[in-house]
Amino acid sequence: MPKSFNNNMLSLQHISKYYQNGPNKAYVINDLSLDIEEGEFVSIMGPSGSGKSTLLNIIGMLDAPTDGYHYFIDQPVHQLKEKQRSALYKQYIGFVFQAYHLIDELTVYENIETPLIYQDIKGSERKALVADMLDRFGIVGKKDLFPSQLSGGQQQLVGVARALISKPKLLLADEPTGNLNSKQGEEIMELFRKLNKEDGVTIVQVTHSEKNAQYGSRIINLLDGRIESSITL
Amino acid sequence: MLRNYIKTAWRNLWKGRVFNTMNVIGLSVAIACCIMLFLTVYFQFTFDRFHVNINKIHQLSFSSSRAEGTEISTAMCAPLAQALKDDYQDIRYITRMANGGATVKYGGKELEKNIHFVDTDFFKMFTFPVVNGNKNNPLADLNDLVLTEYAAKAIFGKENPIGKTIELKYADTPHNFVVSAVVKDFPENSSITFDMLLRFEVTPDYQEHMKHWDWHDHSTFIQLHDNVKPEVFGKQLQTFVNKNFKEVIDGMKKDGAKADANGNVYSLNLLPFANNHFATEINGLEGGQVSKTYVFSLMAIGIFILVIACINFVNLSVARAFTRAREVGVRKTLGAGKWQLLVQFWVETFMVCLFAMVAGIILANFIMPGFNATFRSNMEISMLFKVSHILVMIGVLLLITMIAGLYPALLMMRFKTVSVLKGSVGNAKPGKTRNVLLVTQFTLSTLLIVCTLISWQQISYLKSRPLGYNKDEVISIPIGNSLKGDQALELFRNKMNGQPGITAITGAYDNMGSGKDGSMRTSRIGFDYKGHTVRTTIQGVSYDFLKALDIKLVDGREFSRAMAGDSNAIVINEKMAAQLGKNIRVGDLVPLDENSPSRIIGIVKDYNYRSLRSEIEPLTLVMQGYEINYVFVRVKADNLIRAFNQVKDKWHETFPNVEFTGSWINENTERQYVAEQRLSTIFISGAIIAIIISCIGLLAMSFMIMVQRTKEIGIRKVLGANVGVLVMLLSRDFLKLVLLAAVIAFPLAWWLMSKWLESFVYRTPIYWWIFALAGFIALAIAFLTVSFQSVRAALANPVKSLRSE
Ligand SMILES: Nc1ncnc2c1ncn2[C@@H]1O[C@H](COP(=O)(O)OP(=O)(O)O)[C@@H](O)[C@H]1O
Ligand SMILES: [Mg+2]
Repeated sequence: MPKSFNNNMLSLQHISKYYQNGPNKAYVINDLSLDIEEGEFVSIMGPSGSGKSTLLNIIGMLDAPTDGYHYFIDQPVHQLKEKQRSALYKQYIGFVFQAYHLIDELTVYENIETPLIYQDIKGSERKALVADMLDRFGIVGKKDLFPSQLSGGQQQLVGVARALISKPKLLLADEPTGNLNSKQGEEIMELFRKLNKEDGVTIVQVTHSEKNAQYGSRIINLLDGRIESSITL
Repeated sequence: MLRNYIKTAWRNLWKGRVFNTMNVIGLSVAIACCIMLFLTVYFQFTFDRFHVNINKIHQLSFSSSRAEGTEISTAMCAPLAQALKDDYQDIRYITRMANGGATVKYGGKELEKNIHFVDTDFFKMFTFPVVNGNKNNPLADLNDLVLTEYAAKAIFGKENPIGKTIELKYADTPHNFVVSAVVKDFPENSSITFDMLLRFEVTPDYQEHMKHWDWHDHSTFIQLHDNVKPEVFGKQLQTFVNKNFKEVIDGMKKDGAKADANGNVYSLNLLPFANNHFATEINGLEGGQVSKTYVFSLMAIGIFILVIACINFVNLSVARAFTRAREVGVRKTLGAGKWQLLVQFWVETFMVCLFAMVAGIILANFIMPGFNATFRSNMEISMLFKVSHILVMIGVLLLITMIAGLYPALLMMRFKTVSVLKGSVGNAKPGKTRNVLLVTQFTLSTLLIVCTLISWQQISYLKSRPLGYNKDEVISIPIGNSLKGDQALELFRNKMNGQPGITAITGAYDNMGSGKDGSMRTSRIGFDYKGHTVRTTIQGVSYDFLKALDIKLVDGREFSRAMAGDSNAIVINEKMAAQLGKNIRVGDLVPLDENSPSRIIGIVKDYNYRSLRSEIEPLTLVMQGYEINYVFVRVKADNLIRAFNQVKDKWHETFPNVEFTGSWINENTERQYVAEQRLSTIFISGAIIAIIISCIGLLAMSFMIMVQRTKEIGIRKVLGANVGVLVMLLSRDFLKLVLLAAVIAFPLAWWLMSKWLESFVYRTPIYWWIFALAGFIALAIAFLTVSFQSVRAALANPVKSLRSE
């Protein structure tokens, strides 16, 4: 009988994910177990197609595993209904994407505000929170611009700000610096470190860069849907 | 939250403004059309509904089951009403009603006005509220006169008409009447229309009419007591019929009349007045009847257009949904719930629909006058702003947005967030639903094209079919109420004597076709001939009738001034001759009137003296006993306009005070088919609009698809495909759908149109090439629309499109 542990942020136990490929099962995640504690900063590495994104999406509840047990802050996610899962997600998880995925029709301000709208937070409170965030990221001057008017680095900054606006306990980032030059990438990494150290946000990032991986407290190497190695720094 | 939705919705709409504009144009045109069509339908279905007692009022009709078929006649005899009321306690009110016209003289003015002669119960049955004058019993005295507000204004201007005496001239004699009341003008959709009401007792020769049970010439309406069932009451009337019409029944039985289901050959029936407006199968009802087919066609076309526009809406929204899949995915990762997303998309759809609806109403307002003129209706945009109508519109709006907005939204909800974010949904193939919708659109469009073509063909068939007489170059002039027919004809003949270019002048009781006076008379009589009853239509004529109309004689000759006995002679058509018997010859005597039999002096070839909706029936031309109501003038063909003006000038010279309402007979015969013409105009307008809206959808759709296939096109081009091949490749899928739609539409259209054609005795066959043509039109239009986009896509620089991937 699998169990979760109290100081764990999340716990994946014997997780598998496969696609039916004719008569064969193509495993993307193969019997993978992983515990992440609160306050950790984990970097996931591995060759292309090794299942990094899939793993991150499972952790972020965007994707469901085919088999296995998934606990998030003591909640058995694999047993929850769509609605409960979405409530849990809304409250605790923030996502940052390689392609930023800002909404083109919304301004910087509105993009950052959107998660709060979905959490039914009142207008005045939203205003204060967004203003805070803009200030903290130094993008007050850009608040009325549309994503297409920003550089990649700025867009990703907005993406991170948007992910953090609802004060998540867990920040998931899928190759957040993949589309950025190294200077912009470093800025984002510095930001992540600060968030992790000062605000205690648990972070899981997927990255291809050894250097960026070093910002974390643990590096997990994936190969063919299994953990090949897990190194605590 | 709503504000946020509207803001995003607006920005999204603006971003897709090309499609959204197309969408809005299509939808607002459709809405404008629907407003027109549905208002017309509403107008027709609420005909006469302003009468409070509408459901209690019935018109009496006789039905005679003769060997050759059942005949229904609404003509009643003068003594019947009172006798019926005396015999049946169940009757609450009864009124006779005869129509006529008179020349009104007041204060030096002379006006032609329309009269209804009625009994006093009329006011208790029908809802024509008195606004001025005697409210309790407006026609209490025999010389009382009731006017409509409209007529009162025309005659008296601003003066108060109550108590004033005016002179009416009808049946050649002047009568004085006192205005006792003015009634409110009846609405446009009233079957009963009049300028003035008079007591029935003042109809010409009233006393004489009251002595006869076989002079049938007016309508009678009854209202039963509220607790009496009309069906039950109707059955009881047979006793009355048997008692009062014994001779008629005996005569019919002798001629082999077939008893109807109840065992009667002659019976009195109740026609519900509520159905008066749609009872096209019965002649002699009040007002102009409209076929329900016509009204339902309007409704169907309205619904078609709305459906087509909604399909566009759905298709375009779905197409756009694919381009917005990413946004949905992102919003989901930001914590958006299903409902929040649904509402967001619904708000967008709602905004587009609302905008389209407002634009549609404005558009309707602009095209209303043209519509009214074309379809002879009297609608105003204000009719739309009734509470009930507004509720219906809101309902329709919500319904459309539900279907057109929620379906694509639901579709988007189903996208997997992960795959959307990876970008693998954007190029997904649009589903079967889209194809089904496109096929539906083009099925409806093709259906309308076929209907248009067949109705055109039928109308041109009706117009060009030889009628058995020469309808060209003959002017028909209605004589009007103020002149005595034969005298007027003689006067005019003398005036025209020796005028160049005039070939023949004659007169007739009934017009040929439908003249500008809009009147139609039919006189039918029956008489005994060699032991059986012969029934014939009678046309009263003057000398030169056959010559003026170029009607061919089979045997004998035309009426002649030189022959003394001709005034009582008759000319019959072949049908009549056949009915009289095999051995009938010119020179035989026929007892039209038993006291003085008429001699047949000529037999003419059958000609269509009625519209081609009905078969040619036995016809007898007579010289006496029937007033001349029309003058026919045949002119030489060289200059018709000059000839027409010449006749008109001479008419004015002869009768300075009488209006000239003459018209060419070939115009008159065409006028008989205005209803068909109108239906065809509606079909063609419907078809054009349906096609345009479908094409807007197709255009937008093909644009979407070209965008999706940019890369494929680029690659094919690099591999050496030429523009023609590419255009074919891109258009093929659409054309297949359009072809399928046509194949579905054909049997439907065939069935519908053969039903419609059945209502004509003379009809065009449905040719196969009509379908081929319709299919070709639909295909050609679709191809042009699609290739507009595919040519653009095929011409685009492949390097550019490949790089952008
Ligand atoms: N819908 C799917 N059907 C089949 N295979 C899939 C599907 N989605 C992802 N995969 C496969 O899963 C594997 C892992 O993908 P992913 O997690 O994106 O890898 P990474 O992010 O490490 O590059 C890939 O080989 C991919 O082909
Ligand atoms: Mg990946």
